[in-house]
Amino acid sequence: MESNKKICLGIESTAHTFGVGVLDFEGNVYSLVNDIFTPKEGGLHPVLVKEHHLNNFMITIKNALSKANCSIKDIGLIAFSDSPGLGQVLKIGALIARMLSQILKIPIIGVNHCIAHIEIGRLMCNIEDPLTLYVSGGNTIVSAFESARYQIFGETLDLSIGNMLDSFARDAGLAHPGGPKIEKLAQESNKYLELPYVVKGMDLSFSGLYTAAKRLIESEQYGKNYNLSDVAYSVQETCFAMLTEVTERALAHTEKKEMLLTGGVAANKRLQKMIEYICKEHNARFEVVPFKYAGDNGVMIGWTGILRYKTEGGQNVSETFIKPKERMDQITVPWRD
Amino acid sequence: MDSNVMKEKIIRKGAEANLYYGHWFEKLVIFKHRIPKKYRIEELDKTIRNVRTLNEARALIRVKNYGLNVPQVYEIDTKNSIIVMKYIEGEKLKDALESLDNSRKEEIFKKIGRYIANLHMNGHIHGDITTSNIILTKNQKIFFIDFGLHEYSDSIEDKSVDLHLLKRILISTHGKDFNMCFKAFLIGYQEEYCKEAREECRQIIKNINVIETRGRYVKKEERL
Repeated sequence: MESNKKICLGIESTAHTFGVGVLDFEGNVYSLVNDIFTPKEGGLHPVLVKEHHLNNFMITIKNALSKANCSIKDIGLIAFSDSPGLGQVLKIGALIARMLSQILKIPIIGVNHCIAHIEIGRLMCNIEDPLTLYVSGGNTIVSAFESARYQIFGETLDLSIGNMLDSFARDAGLAHPGGPKIEKLAQESNKYLELPYVVKGMDLSFSGLYTAAKRLIESEQYGKNYNLSDVAYSVQETCFAMLTEVTERALAHTEKKEMLLTGGVAANKRLQKMIEYICKEHNARFEVVPFKYAGDNGVMIGWTGILRYKTEGGQNVSETFIKPKERMDQITVPWRD
Repeated sequence: MDSNVMKEKIIRKGAEANLYYGHWFEKLVIFKHRIPKKYRIEELDKTIRNVRTLNEARALIRVKNYGLNVPQVYEIDTKNSIIVMKYIEGEKLKDALESLDNSRKEEIFKKIGRYIANLHMNGHIHGDITTSNIILTKNQKIFFIDFGLHEYSDSIEDKSVDLHLLKRILISTHGKDFNMCFKAFLIGYQEEYCKEAREECRQIIKNINVIETRGRYVKKEERL
């Protein structure tokens, strides 16, 4: 590996994934290593996630460096996720990044996790100015670039889509992560049970849908008139139709000609099919971010850090706060102007 | 539909419906056709299209009583989810806004505020107030279209959500003009609403902030 000061180490630590990515300033990826916390039961408890990350960060970073075939001394920039996410977990990422920055005497930069999802999509799919549907366990956002920011056109008003699917799966006795299991179950059914369909302008609400689905599996009729596959099918059809509708609204409103689907739930084939359909209708190019880069990972943090570093330079360690509640539309993105 | 009715050309592919220009017994009309959306399953699709077509047509007829300019409805075809309505010649506010001067922008948003206040006072929620759904005609009239998400409600919450959506659209689409336009809108809205129910109006506007703070990733100190 030549030209030492051109390599960036990206650290992702917002939720259950501790991710490390090694890449250069041109966007060539040398390694991507994720260490994902999986709860034995229940959901993600911040304290347990934090402990997991603390216990495993060293080995994950070492793995990433050896896979990239470089030494820690080759690194010229540290990027870490500073927002949004679980406070305790964000702290771990920030702690490691500050430490490395000070030991190695290299610049450090904090990155918004949501913007990183869009930026890695733009890089990997070679797309210029997309409307993005970002669906994951923590976020459900329809966003596009407008007046120097990634504006939020639509978002969930309560639960995020992944959170809703996981919670429902948990109630139905499926282990975490529930999304893929629901997708599989849904394929076995085509019996639709009516569920609340809540779209407010371009915003969505999933909490009513979640409660209704939960009541379906707690009802006496459950197992007699319908089974879990039917409920899974109905949940999926309803919530994805809602997502697709608001995305189509945003596509018609913004008149963008490119569409990007990203986040963990983007892996769902049914959702991909639905979004692809509306893109054809509106003559928009449709891209799904490759699975490896769609979920949380360190490469996206690294790449966004590079973009910001190139336009604004690094931060002082004393400026690197974590901002667990920061919205992506509060941040300007100077590299897009 | 018989030979006096002609769908001539498509003028807009919206998110929900296709709009066709045409003639209906010698009148210039728009056919708003909620086409089947193949991405969703048939049961869901049918219900959504049916409910919204009826809902919109009813709303278009009823809100006329409150002084709102909306297209006249000529025919409703619930089977195919088509509404035939008067053709309104003009420009979408979204496209027109840039070229207007500031005082004109303020004037328009004040007027919009009054209109929406009138709707709300009478228990109507538009459900999708965006600058794409407001038309400015040549003789400077303001027309409201797209009542597909219209609802009847007297609750403060629903009215606030309606205003919140407009606020969001203004921020995301007209960032530069947001402050001025939304302020003017609220002035118009308050003027009209306070004539009848000052306290309720105050609560509706206050509640917009409450809704915002319910959003995702709001700073602790901004939460109520």
